[in-house]
Amino acid sequence: MEYLFAYVIFPGFLFTAVVGMLVSWIDRKVTARVQWRVGPPLFQPLYDFVKLLGKEIIVPRGASKATFLLAPLFGLAAVTLVSSMIWMASLYPDRGFVGDLIVVIYVMMIPSIAVIIGAFASKNRIASLGASREMKLMLADELPFLLAVMVVIIKSEAVHLGQIYHYQETYGMIFSSWSGVLAMIVAVLCMQAKLTLVPFDIPEAETELMGGVFVEYSGPPLAVLKLTRMMMLFTLPMVMVHLFLGGVHFQGMDILWSILKYVVLLVVIVLIRNTNPRVRIDQAMRFFWGPVLIIGIAAVILALLGF
Amino acid sequence: MNPLLYVIAVPFILGVLCFIPGKVRYIREAITFLGTAFGFTLSLLIFLDMPMEWSRFGSVLLKVDHLSGFTLLAAGFFTLFIALYSFRYMKDTLYPARYYGCILWTFAATAGALMANHLLLLLVFWGFLGITLYLLVLTGGDAAAPAARKSLAVIGGTDALMLLGIILIYQLSSTFQIDGISLHFNSLAAYTAFFTLLLGAFAKAGVMPMHTWIPDVSEHAPIPVTAFLPASLDKLLGIYLMIRMCFGMFAMNASVNLVLLIVGSITILASVSMALMQNDFRRLLAYCAISQVGYMVLGIGTGLALGLMAALFHMINHMLYKTCLFFTAGSVKQQTGSNSFADLGGLGRLMPWTFVSFLIAAFAVSGIPPLNGFVSKWMIYQSLLKLKDTGGSLWVIWLFAAMFGSGLTLASFMKLTHAVFLGTSPVKIVKAKIGESGFLIIFPMAFIAVLCVLFGIFAFSGPITLFLQPITAMLKPTISGVLPMPLYWSAGTATLLILAGLIIGFLIYLAGNLKNVREADSFTGGEELPVDTRVSGIGFYDTVRDLPVLGTLFKRAEAKWFDLYELGSNFAYSVGGLLKKAHTGLLNLYLLYILLGLIIFLILLMGR
Repeated sequence: MEYLFAYVIFPGFLFTAVVGMLVSWIDRKVTARVQWRVGPPLFQPLYDFVKLLGKEIIVPRGASKATFLLAPLFGLAAVTLVSSMIWMASLYPDRGFVGDLIVVIYVMMIPSIAVIIGAFASKNRIASLGASREMKLMLADELPFLLAVMVVIIKSEAVHLGQIYHYQETYGMIFSSWSGVLAMIVAVLCMQAKLTLVPFDIPEAETELMGGVFVEYSGPPLAVLKLTRMMMLFTLPMVMVHLFLGGVHFQGMDILWSILKYVVLLVVIVLIRNTNPRVRIDQAMRFFWGPVLIIGIAAVILALLGF
Repeated sequence: MNPLLYVIAVPFILGVLCFIPGKVRYIREAITFLGTAFGFTLSLLIFLDMPMEWSRFGSVLLKVDHLSGFTLLAAGFFTLFIALYSFRYMKDTLYPARYYGCILWTFAATAGALMANHLLLLLVFWGFLGITLYLLVLTGGDAAAPAARKSLAVIGGTDALMLLGIILIYQLSSTFQIDGISLHFNSLAAYTAFFTLLLGAFAKAGVMPMHTWIPDVSEHAPIPVTAFLPASLDKLLGIYLMIRMCFGMFAMNASVNLVLLIVGSITILASVSMALMQNDFRRLLAYCAISQVGYMVLGIGTGLALGLMAALFHMINHMLYKTCLFFTAGSVKQQTGSNSFADLGGLGRLMPWTFVSFLIAAFAVSGIPPLNGFVSKWMIYQSLLKLKDTGGSLWVIWLFAAMFGSGLTLASFMKLTHAVFLGTSPVKIVKAKIGESGFLIIFPMAFIAVLCVLFGIFAFSGPITLFLQPITAMLKPTISGVLPMPLYWSAGTATLLILAGLIIGFLIYLAGNLKNVREADSFTGGEELPVDTRVSGIGFYDTVRDLPVLGTLFKRAEAKWFDLYELGSNFAYSVGGLLKKAHTGLLNLYLLYILLGLIIFLILLMGR
């Protein structure tokens, strides 16, 4: 019952959704300011969400209906699970909640899979193309991302989220070591791809694929997909904070310090997204399996040597 | 008579009955059902009544302990389901006698190999399995003949090597009794014995470099055969023998374990990369099956109790989802007549049962929580992580290979999902009015898919406690029945929470405008596309193939540069070509050869 509360209210669904909307507002506002626009009001993400709920659902003719409509729900459930796991590990580091770091990595893949399956099910050719790109992008960023995670495992000698938290309490955050810095760079780049934000918004590619994977979605399913995206924008940087920056602390000034860690990451994401053009999928693969991979390997070697 | 003999003899005799000529289909099917059901029931009884043994000539010839009891039970279960599936799928086969007879014989020989406590007896059953495999593959017709030859060559060749290993073991320990052998790696002979036996196990299980027969067999043999042998029973036998060797007959040392870890990692990555490029349902499954064995080898290679448990669990999980996947491939083939991606697409709506079973099994093999494949892979990762306590930092490489391999598996199955079940159908399928398969095809498939879910959610309270802990406690007695790991994965809770998440999402749908659903043509930006333009799965990962170094490797692999069988036959043909030149047909020359031979013979004799 306690777990259910944690999952549904705090720090799970409700909390993540609200903060996710807030964060996506910040993202849009900053982007607007960078482009010399005024930007949306604070409640705009909520308005968008409610408005989408009221719209009709259009299902493409001949699509696998159930798969098409169910897929977004799995993404939502998975991102909520990741968020609860990460927060519970900061709140109660000595207790295990559901699973460890490996489980987090696996559950983190589910939203992407849900989007891919949903796009495939729509029977739209453009969505199929987008989904194949999403899958390739996932392969591309998974390789260096695993290396970055290895650095955390090597340093903290643990995969239990609470132990990683405790390690950083005692020995300082992973980011404070050389290998940690390199791993963090790799992880932030991978995060950008996992969030499919510019320059890695290849699966959606509005100007060429018209939303790609989302092209056939409308009404409530689209609302759920958008909500999942917003929650990801909050959750993924929180995973990074937990793994590399020592996690969230709740005593006195530490709260501000914890928020600052997240905000810095968010700013980095928004900056990257506003200063880069979209790359092609083969360029993205070469990028992640080339230079980023090499940085990742260097980070792992440094970590093994103790730096 | 001892019940251990019944489990071998009864299916064997019933198998002989199947060969009685005649065109009565139902009698053969009834015999097969009787034999497999008997085999399953008896193996269940034996499992409940362990340990048992049967001695003759002053030595224990058959013996059932926890390991063989469990593997025997699994073999019985899968044989029964394959038989059920075959009744529908193979109803038009040209070789019913050979097919059903060999199914029963295979079970008998497998049971014998699993229970054998005498190395020569093991080899006899093992060799017999090679022959039944050859005969079963041949039921695929003329197209399957080269694949059958290849499998016979690889399996038969390694059987010969195993005989060498067994002789060496006898020389070293002067016994053939498996439970009496305890060898240390202190001589070249011990290493040779180990690796020759290991090659035999590798060939059966399909570990690289002895894997090459599996893709060919799965492409051409009837699907139940592939699901039966390369996907389940041969894996079971190979892993069984590996465990017997590594946790019983030989006292492992670090360097041998290192070899296993290297082979396991390479197998995972190389074959799953090949799977990524396949454009045939069955070939893709076959390559994926090879890569999954890599995980089991990794688990065994850790040499830890947890690794052993994980390998066994992964073996049983692999048998479940891979059998299920081959069954879905069969269902698709049955209804559409093809397994090639070019002819398929959009079947999910037309064959919902097949699609759902496929999706569950595909997610299980990709290691998506909370399904069974995730739990066993997760246990393997944990055991690899434990290697860091024993020193060395190579565990990073193994863990990395295993985890990334899992991502690649997911990618290849996404391609498969798209190409076969989702996406747009080709015109032929739209016109053909394709429907779902019959009950005898759906039932085994769906039942096994349900098991995949149950084995995932109730992994720790179910199969691990019931089957795997006793085995681990027997083979690695240090931990005495305690689960050798901290439980950081509560599958039940996770499933409940994900369900809660689904309900939340559903409530959002309800809050929205759920009544107002409209169908419309799919949106292509106003462009009128011809009816037959579609994105099939074929070019899905061409981006990967075009990458610098990797692309070259793919091309080499497709040209069979890494195929030992092809390399071997090329070598044999070139040597043969040289010898051919000596045969000119001139009598004088032959007389000269004879004379030369006699001279050499004389010199040799005088030398003594």
